[in-house]
Amino acid sequence: MRVAVGDDAVILREGLARLLQEAGFEVVGVAADAEELLELVDRSEPDVAIVDIRMPPTHTDEGLRAAKAIREAHPAIGILVLSQHVHARYAIELLSSGTDGVGYLLKERVADLEELSASVRRVGQGGSVLDPAVVSQLVGRRRQADNPLEHLTDREREVLALMAEGRSNKAIAERLFVSEHTVEKHIKNIFGTLQLPQTPDDHRRVLAVVTYLDSE
Amino acid sequence: MRAKLFLLVAAAVGAAAAATWLAAHAGADRPTEPGAYLTLLVGVSLIGSGLASWQARPDNRLGPVMVLTGFAWFAGLLSEATSAPLYTVGVAVEYVFVVGFIYVVLSFPSGQLRDTLDRTIVAVAVAALGLQVVAMLFGSGSGLRCGGGCGDNLIQLFHDNGLALTLLNVERLIAAVLTLTAVVMLTARWLNASAAQRRELTWVLLAGNAMLLALAVTVVDDLVGNPLKSTPAKVWFFTLALVPIAIVATFVRRRLARGSVAGLVVQLGGPTEPADLRAALARALGDPTLDLAYWFPAEARYVTGDGRPVEVPGADSGRRSTFVERDRTPIAMLLHDPALEHNSGLVQSVCAAAGLALENERLQAELRARLVELNASRGRLVEATDAERRRIERNLHDGTQQRLVSIAMSLGLLESRLAPGQSDAAPIVREARTALTLALEELRELTQGIHPTLLVERGLPVALEELCRRAGLPAHLKVDLDVRLPDQVETAAYYFVSEALSNAVKHSHGNEVRVNVGYDGATLTVEIADDGIGGAAIGGGGGWAGSGSGLRGLADRVEALGGQFTVSSPPGRGTRLKAEIPCA
Repeated sequence: MRVAVGDDAVILREGLARLLQEAGFEVVGVAADAEELLELVDRSEPDVAIVDIRMPPTHTDEGLRAAKAIREAHPAIGILVLSQHVHARYAIELLSSGTDGVGYLLKERVADLEELSASVRRVGQGGSVLDPAVVSQLVGRRRQADNPLEHLTDREREVLALMAEGRSNKAIAERLFVSEHTVEKHIKNIFGTLQLPQTPDDHRRVLAVVTYLDSE
Repeated sequence: MRAKLFLLVAAAVGAAAAATWLAAHAGADRPTEPGAYLTLLVGVSLIGSGLASWQARPDNRLGPVMVLTGFAWFAGLLSEATSAPLYTVGVAVEYVFVVGFIYVVLSFPSGQLRDTLDRTIVAVAVAALGLQVVAMLFGSGSGLRCGGGCGDNLIQLFHDNGLALTLLNVERLIAAVLTLTAVVMLTARWLNASAAQRRELTWVLLAGNAMLLALAVTVVDDLVGNPLKSTPAKVWFFTLALVPIAIVATFVRRRLARGSVAGLVVQLGGPTEPADLRAALARALGDPTLDLAYWFPAEARYVTGDGRPVEVPGADSGRRSTFVERDRTPIAMLLHDPALEHNSGLVQSVCAAAGLALENERLQAELRARLVELNASRGRLVEATDAERRRIERNLHDGTQQRLVSIAMSLGLLESRLAPGQSDAAPIVREARTALTLALEELRELTQGIHPTLLVERGLPVALEELCRRAGLPAHLKVDLDVRLPDQVETAAYYFVSEALSNAVKHSHGNEVRVNVGYDGATLTVEIADDGIGGAAIGGGGGWAGSGSGLRGLADRVEALGGQFTVSSPPGRGTRLKAEIPCA
């Protein structure tokens, strides 16, 4: 898989490139700001672009805007946005932009090589990735006692969180050391309790869950 | 002064008696003379009001000029005498009083001629009087005046009645031009005057213009051979009496205005508002444009009632200032119309009557000025704090956080490169990475608390949404705001909600919090209500013990922006915190 990296901090983009190469990805190039990244993506059409959310010139949400621009120009390229802050709002904006193959991760997650390659692969294949910190903020949010979420079992809540992170049934099953069949059963219960329409598509499922969690 | 006054009054009585007698005994063949009553009325009103004005304001030339004009008027009546010396003097000074009238009308109320045109008119009038004396060198006693019954002209040197009459006609012509010029000028001056100036000028202007116009008609009538007979002269004499009457009436009116000072004293006895004080003084002084400024000793300058600085008006600013002092310490400054300068008596009594109220008001203005200063410095402190927080967050983000992330990356790399044989090292690396992740998490919490980047990037609604999402209690957010507000307002509102939420979580024992944010185009209102135990106070109290300083901090931030902070926290019925922040 071919990857492009955009980050204004040189130690981070070089470190990230090294990690990606270590994990077996081909790094097509690195960029120091959004403009440079867009050129790089135009030129080398990678499978995935990894972009820091906060870059020059304003150091605010350039990464998100770059992601949007890449989306419009190259709908097939997966985009993984990295951030040093947990901003659920940005993650949800990114996920609700309507297309597949997007992710939002905290920067330090990339240090876990397995997680990094799994996330890049998932985004590259059109899946979604949502940082566990964001998910736990959404799931762990304090709610009224009569909220449907409060009726979920602890296990179901765990499954819900892993689902929101963008993981497939198989990955969830591996994580929880249960069979895929059990995971499917949990998911059916969750969707029933929350009265969400069942959807076979993983990305749609993430979006449905996240939107639900955000709105409650 | 008393002796001088007595002498003047005695002289006036004598002159009046003599002139009246002369007027009463004037020949019936000279019907254009004023007659006894008008003679007495004009002269007495001139001398009387002149003396009154002189007494009241010795430094104003108007009084002496009016007195002199009165005597000149009586002296002019000597032309009715049959005795040759008296008659000669009488004719020579016959019209001196007209110059006096012109001077009075032009210089009212200051007693000073205002400009070159004024002075020119008076100078030409004096020159025209000279013509009368020149004419006397040529004309005989009866040739100069009426048909008969006149005294002899003692200073006649040549015998040329024709030339004498021509000279008198030239004098009349000059008089007509001068009076019309003066009428136009006085009218223009009145039209340009302020309300306060008009109050002073109107009556004298009307009387003066009437007198001048009547004079113009009279001399023109004389020039063209008296077709109107004695009527213009009669009207003129009558209008002459009007001028001193108008002046006296204006003075009486001033006195009456001073009487309103008594009303002012009564009015100021009760509790007053700054606006009431200004309005009361404006009414008493008859100057609706009046403004008040108060002495602010800390900065040695004058400030408005609400503490803003005021400049002392310059000489050419069209405004005048009167300073009010108590015990030789400045208290206040009255900014008023220049017209009030001619009525300093009224201004002085108003200032004296309002002294205490002004002093009171001054203290309040001083307090407000200090408050304005205090608020400004508080605002600067908050601003400086915010800037510092932004700087620290930025430094942490760009420095420490990135370095820690890069270490985590290196550890990740190391972990993957560990040969399977060295598997006992793997747990240690993993441990280090976990510890690093925790450190980064803590750092993230810290930087987010220091400076909310989301607020800057996305504005208040999004930042508040994030706050509520993270709150330790179910938080219901309702935001009615679709514009960006000034940075410091958004920041204050953000920290207000942040602090209030964590207070509610820690102290309220409630089940939920409601956050309502509204904006009406001028004021941002933020309200946070929980359903907990209540009993919170800015000073701390109830189950909120120890939280006092938190609320105090909230109040400080809101008040630094000129906002209002209110706490409503009845025991057992929840706590409602409300901030209203102006967004000017």
